[in-house]
Amino acid sequence: MEKSKKSTKRLAAAKELNKAVGEYYLECAAAKEQGKPVGWMPPMNGAIELFYAMDLQPVFPENWSPVCAAFGLTPKNFEVSEGMGYSRDLCGYLRNIVGYVNGPMTDPAIPLGGLPAPDLLISPGGGCVPVMKIFHALERRFPEAKVFKADLPQVALEEIAPHHVDYAIQEMQRLIDFLEKATGRKLDQDRLREVVVLSDQACALWDEIMSFRRTIPAPFSAAEIGIMFVMVTRQGTRQAIDFLIKARDEIKERAESGTGVIEEEKLRLFWDNIPLWYNMGLFNYFEKANAVVVAETYSAAWSIRLDPADPIKALAMKSLMSYPLVSCVSIEKRKEMVLKACREYAIDGVVFHRNKSCVPISLGQMDIKKALEEELGIPSVIFDADHMDARNFSTAQFQVRIDAFLEMLAEKKSQV
Amino acid sequence: MSQPDYLQPFADCLTQSSQRLFDQAEAGEKHIGYFCTYTPVELIHACGFVPIRIMGEPGVVEQAYSLVPDFICPFMKCALEKALNGGFKYLKGAVQGYTCDVSCGMANIWKENIPGELYHTFPLPYTDAPAPRDYLQKEFQAFIHKAEQAGGEFSLERLQSSLDMYAVIRRNLLSLFQSEKGGAPVLNAQERHIVAQAGYVTPPDLFLEMLEALESRKPFDSPENQGGIPVLISGSLVESFGVFDAMEKAGARIVADDLCSGYRNLLPVDGSGSGPMERLIDRYVNRFPCPSRCRAEDRFPLLMDRIEQTGARGLVFLIQKFCTPHLADIPELTRLLKAAGIPVLVVEMDESWRMGGQLQTRLEGFVEMIDGMSG
Ligand code: SF4
Ligand code: SF4
Repeated sequence: MEKSKKSTKRLAAAKELNKAVGEYYLECAAAKEQGKPVGWMPPMNGAIELFYAMDLQPVFPENWSPVCAAFGLTPKNFEVSEGMGYSRDLCGYLRNIVGYVNGPMTDPAIPLGGLPAPDLLISPGGGCVPVMKIFHALERRFPEAKVFKADLPQVALEEIAPHHVDYAIQEMQRLIDFLEKATGRKLDQDRLREVVVLSDQACALWDEIMSFRRTIPAPFSAAEIGIMFVMVTRQGTRQAIDFLIKARDEIKERAESGTGVIEEEKLRLFWDNIPLWYNMGLFNYFEKANAVVVAETYSAAWSIRLDPADPIKALAMKSLMSYPLVSCVSIEKRKEMVLKACREYAIDGVVFHRNKSCVPISLGQMDIKKALEEELGIPSVIFDADHMDARNFSTAQFQVRIDAFLEMLAEKKSQV
Repeated sequence: MSQPDYLQPFADCLTQSSQRLFDQAEAGEKHIGYFCTYTPVELIHACGFVPIRIMGEPGVVEQAYSLVPDFICPFMKCALEKALNGGFKYLKGAVQGYTCDVSCGMANIWKENIPGELYHTFPLPYTDAPAPRDYLQKEFQAFIHKAEQAGGEFSLERLQSSLDMYAVIRRNLLSLFQSEKGGAPVLNAQERHIVAQAGYVTPPDLFLEMLEALESRKPFDSPENQGGIPVLISGSLVESFGVFDAMEKAGARIVADDLCSGYRNLLPVDGSGSGPMERLIDRYVNRFPCPSRCRAEDRFPLLMDRIEQTGARGLVFLIQKFCTPHLADIPELTRLLKAAGIPVLVVEMDESWRMGGQLQTRLEGFVEMIDGMSG
């Protein structure tokens, strides 16, 4: 199997990350052996904290996709799902996970032990259509799993009203009832509060880590964005905090000592849309022109601060806000978020990955591009690719586009 | 296109709707556009606006690419193209029931780029129970408030009469989509299509009058007894007449559809409840399943019902290219249909809606294959 083109890592936290990824997946496999209920769920919602509070094992099939990409498993998974009739025009996460569960999942040689079969499925109503359809396919593949048919209003952030929040809270409660009944475990409110506090601390730490990237030169680039793994899989746990503290200390030290990603950072870039998981080395490509990707939309959506005073409401709010914030549900707020980041991170140019595998994030990019130019005078470039399917990416075309863009930015900057 | 005279008013509506709607807007009528049939048109109407469905027109997409990528459905690309060329200037805004990612994004892009006064997306619940119904009532109230701020006027009485009117329209349309005695419908597929599409771009009171006039012309001398292999078509919107010609030429006869521009829009014709608001809610939590909000497993038995009712011997998925909800359901539906002995063909249409020679050959091969099957 062909491995992906990895990025060059400069942080010691990168080594810790490999360990953290391995440990998490081992823990998932061990949970099955220990009789701990395993539930598969979409990311970016408050179910994660509930799972940890009830000592259940959450598994995120979407997060497994970058792992598949990193280990070169994706082509095989695509072959299986496309053989089943899934169109190449569908999101690569969908084709990857459907292929995986209907194909290589039973292969004992799968890296990191693979994913344990689910006892529970948190099947979304709301979120993007591909995620909904992933879970419908999982329901078919694992008919013995107990299914929670979730329901969440999809509302632009600026439109969220009390009745949306109330409904999301009721849905949270319905999920708790389902989990208690399905697993025979009771949710302890004090434990939930502890988990929410931990989750909030992780968000605070993540925000702090991100804030060091405002330093010039930036202490780390998007090439190391994998360190947010714990923000995806371990929100609400001590392990996430321990990992983030170590990473924060290292990054802080680099920022304070003026240690940048490269010798001479000349251009600061912002990245929109999901990385190309099979080619994280792309983030290093910019460095030859002394450019560094210092911020991205993707990393912001995982840090939604939680108010521990009302844990259920906090988790309901997180569920309501996370996906809209990065997608076309909330183009207005997303635009604001990108513009704010570009100001705060002293961005010289923005790279838009127009992602064939993700319509919800690719829609709205043009409006953001226009606002960047009109309101901040920040130039941007669009390149076509796919976050999962390497067949939809041409390195040569990317290089031609990016080279011209970086040249233009350098020229512009030299005139200031 | 020449039609039997009883269909001419509907065909005229389609060719002349833009001008008529411009003129009506000039005269003070307030039109609101919507994309999907999950949009509660009765509520928009009860607030004093005329709901008009936004549709694309087959053609070339150029301008729209300044706002959206090319890998979204032709329906939305063409609709945006038309809007950017001023083709929807008669609309006072756009309102949408949350269905798929593209329509959600488009509603927001429309708001940013196409001038208007009233924009709203209804985040509809995915489940039916007292809590989601209660939530939906609040959601509808929030819309009423917004509509009033945009110059609308609402009352429960108005809602009652809007519900009544749309229910009669749907009942009438349904009678054209179904046979009175079982078997094939009273109008052929192209004729049903013309009538239904006219309904999307005509104010409902006027459309109801047209339907009543049509009713009085029954029985039609529609060629419903024409030969051809009976098939069901399933997809989102059909936006071209060429499709019907091509199917007919291939030897198929479309006896039923599962299209959001056709049969799906009609069901349920009405909701039930103690008051108009409850009735409205009941309809929108019980819509005929669409792939953007339901499981393939929920759709399969209903497709089989239609197949059994109409004697369809095969199913053609007529898909807008890049339409994720439909594409994602096809593998499972195909498996289930084939297991039930129903042959399946998948056809994807781009924005030109051109049925090229290769496609024609595929359709012919499909029809021949069904014909060759015993029984
Ligand atoms: S990548 Fe985009 S389309 Fe795919 S599952 Fe994620 S949000 Fe949905
Ligand atoms: S359901 Fe399909 S055709 Fe309809 S708007 Fe969505 S993507 Fe387009």
